[in-house]
Amino acid sequence: MNPPVGQRKLRLATTSLAGCFGCHMSLLDIDERLFELLDRVDLDRSPLTDIKHCGPCDIGLIEGGICNAENIHVLREFRQQCKVLIAVGACAINGGLPAQRNHLDLGQCLQEVYLTAPGIVGGRIPDDPELPLPLNQVHPIHEIVRIDYFIPGCPPSGDAIWKFLTDLLDGRTPRLGHPLLHFD
Amino acid sequence: MATADFPLASATGDGGNLRRIALDPLSRVEGHGKVTLLLDDAGQVWQARLHIVEFRGFEKFIQGRPYWEVPVMVQRLCGICPVSHHLAAAKALDHVVGADELPPTAEKLRRLMHAGQILQSHALHFFHLSSPDLLFGFASDAARRNIVGIAAAHPEVARQGVLLRRFGQEIIRLTAGKRVHGTGAVPGGVNRALSRAERADLLAGIEQIIAWSRQAVQLVKRLHAADPELYDHFGTCRSNLLSIVGAGGVLDFYDGRLRARDADGRLLADAVHVRDYAELISEEVKSWSYMKFPFLSAIGPRDGWYKVGPLARVQNCEAIATPLAEAERREFIAHGGGRIVHAPLAYHWARMIEMLHAAEAIEDLLHDDELSGSELRSSGVRHHEGVGVIEAPRGTLIHHYRVGDDDLVTMCNLIVSTTHNNQPMNEAVRRVAQRYLDGQELTEGLLNHIEVAIRCFDPCLSCATHALGRMPLVLELLDASGRLVGRLAGAPDALSSGGGS
Amino acid sequence: MNTPTLLLDGLPVPFSVGQTIMEAATAAGIFIPHLCHHPDFKPQGSCKLCTVKANGRYVSACTMPAKDGMEVENNSPDLNDKRRTLLQMLFVEGNHFCPSCEKSGDCLLQALAYELEMLTAHFPQFYPDRPVDASHPEVLLDFNRCILCELCVRASREVDGKNVFALSGRGIGKHLIVNAESGRLADTGFSLADKAAHVCPVGVILAKRRGFLQPIGCRRYDRQPIGMQFASPPGSGGNGPEH
Repeated sequence: MNPPVGQRKLRLATTSLAGCFGCHMSLLDIDERLFELLDRVDLDRSPLTDIKHCGPCDIGLIEGGICNAENIHVLREFRQQCKVLIAVGACAINGGLPAQRNHLDLGQCLQEVYLTAPGIVGGRIPDDPELPLPLNQVHPIHEIVRIDYFIPGCPPSGDAIWKFLTDLLDGRTPRLGHPLLHFD
Repeated sequence: MATADFPLASATGDGGNLRRIALDPLSRVEGHGKVTLLLDDAGQVWQARLHIVEFRGFEKFIQGRPYWEVPVMVQRLCGICPVSHHLAAAKALDHVVGADELPPTAEKLRRLMHAGQILQSHALHFFHLSSPDLLFGFASDAARRNIVGIAAAHPEVARQGVLLRRFGQEIIRLTAGKRVHGTGAVPGGVNRALSRAERADLLAGIEQIIAWSRQAVQLVKRLHAADPELYDHFGTCRSNLLSIVGAGGVLDFYDGRLRARDADGRLLADAVHVRDYAELISEEVKSWSYMKFPFLSAIGPRDGWYKVGPLARVQNCEAIATPLAEAERREFIAHGGGRIVHAPLAYHWARMIEMLHAAEAIEDLLHDDELSGSELRSSGVRHHEGVGVIEAPRGTLIHHYRVGDDDLVTMCNLIVSTTHNNQPMNEAVRRVAQRYLDGQELTEGLLNHIEVAIRCFDPCLSCATHALGRMPLVLELLDASGRLVGRLAGAPDALSSGGGS
Repeated sequence: MNTPTLLLDGLPVPFSVGQTIMEAATAAGIFIPHLCHHPDFKPQGSCKLCTVKANGRYVSACTMPAKDGMEVENNSPDLNDKRRTLLQMLFVEGNHFCPSCEKSGDCLLQALAYELEMLTAHFPQFYPDRPVDASHPEVLLDFNRCILCELCVRASREVDGKNVFALSGRGIGKHLIVNAESGRLADTGFSLADKAAHVCPVGVILAKRRGFLQPIGCRRYDRQPIGMQFASPPGSGGNGPEH
């Protein structure tokens, strides 16, 4: 993307799928640079705004992997609306720690948590139609839609996110080297 | 309106056609959740529910992992209060490695790390997430009702919020190695101390942090004073209270014993050792949420539910150990006029008092040379079981593990703060729905009232989904036949704060 | 007589007869990415990370003897692309959850991924089911992270004389096993003092109860990326994957 300087502000959307919001915390860890960022981009849908559905955006940041049917809908909405889609953090990139349940039987997991865990009264597996169906396995988001860039880390540091976004906004190829590139 | 326990059956019985409205995802909260409402033709609200819609299965896949991995792994439940999970797990595992008492350096470093966590999380919640509702109005322009709007209209408030949070995050970075998901605590102690230079750097900024924290308390008090009717009654529901309380009855975020009071402040249980938590509370499962519903076992599920978090803690303790926060606590108690304050909006007030206490506690700790000590760990006779309880930003957080002779975890039970507040949040949602939405033409601004009520609790929906995923918060409106008529979808991504909380 | 010399990315690198390209490069402080190579063991050339182009042909630097006048291409986009792809395949085949792995920061696989700027594992994840072996009182085996480099196999056989480990199966079914009837490490003569307990480049063979004692910031590859550790002059502490 080559945003000619002085042109319209770019729109940025962010969301968390099956993540812990740690990547959003890292986005806020750019500290005072947040105001500089907000001078350069308008926030669309994000946990920080009350916009519930993504409009046409230039950049979308996705935290978290795919663990249920609803995650897939949200991810597709983002892909449809965002010119550049970025997978942020371990969960979006390889499923992250929640993917450690992938070799387990989902039904058994649910049974243990909701039926046989200590101190349970009226044990039952939640099954209301309001609850999106959990998937058997947690998946990285690039297995569902095309992803343009990846920022690894659990979470990537605020500095890494800042470097990446400013590279992108300034029209450079985003690049992370030591010590900004890390997987933990 | 139907209650949480007896909801739809009665509603569909005579309700005819009910409309469903969903707020999905809830926004400006931490984590995913949705709220659904069922309304009849006259717009009367028949049912309102907060759903946690994700499941991540941490309790299950931790089994079979080596115990020393657990504090690092479980903090990934929540990126907002990872430190609380990290420490609760480490505390539980202290028992497993027989570290009945930690070296003072280790205990103080952990307390410092946790105070940093309380500071950053409370600042985040108040300034970044909730202040737009409070400063602009619940039904104000949705496009402006966020931190960007605050930065434009109240730049100094926004800047202080960002810098308060930064300070807390820096404390965490220096004690845990990273701002989010570090490794500072290990079973039996910590893996590094603070150097004198690091302490001096932090001390250079603490005076300003305390001053801003005081201003934040004043800001909330002004809001309460400007509209007492709203602040005292919005979504107010009486309930029991639960928290841990430190030695001598003082507010303690890091350690203590469990105390429960009833809605009038009478003690229901006190000095309960945390390892006996399972005798004090049970959890109920409902079909429509992945988040369980805890209650005091002695009272039962109908009346035994309770609030946790700042509002519970500030009223459950007898004192706060730092002077500025203690003075503010007294003023808060005086505001209740001898009665327990149950108003959800008062959570913000209590939260800012706690933030001030965290800032003062950080200063006291930073002056302590033991933070730079060299004895970092202890150990003793191995045990097979450990319970760790901590007061996370959002309330009491319980971690319980069993570990085999081969060092692998065989059982894990987690009750996170937001889960304790499940029923109070549902009650607050129902009250607000009844008071503000009944019979009304539903607008975005009116529906935001529901989210305002939920935000008071600073729910960490991220934490709450630990069991098998995450829980999104959604608000949906059904008509009398249960048909979905409207759905206010919040971004499934609300910032979930977490842990524990 | 003249010292034999090869050209590594255009730089003259002298070597002594009998050295491999890898040995010549290491002695000169030049880093060639590798996983299964270890200076203490006979090279086996299985991981292919050290693939270089010698006189126009792809060869394993760890097994190919250096020759006078040989022109070797090492740090080129073409080779690094291939190496990154190999790493990506290794990452998806196992369960490499760096965020909660105690080897993170000290892991050769991870350090190479950083060096080669691997941002995603790209391929579909396998998520295999590989239970850990915690039977031994001092050592944990977490097979989730095994990359089949056989360093433990070689160390146990050649140095410890115990032959505790072996690879079994073929193709995608190939996996590390413990040579005991029960298959459990506790039923072998394995000891924490063995060489094999300290050669694993990833987080498979771990001394128990020590995870995360090293603070973030002080771990091996927190300080310097692996390539620069090799580039430091010999004797300054930067060398080789062994710890």
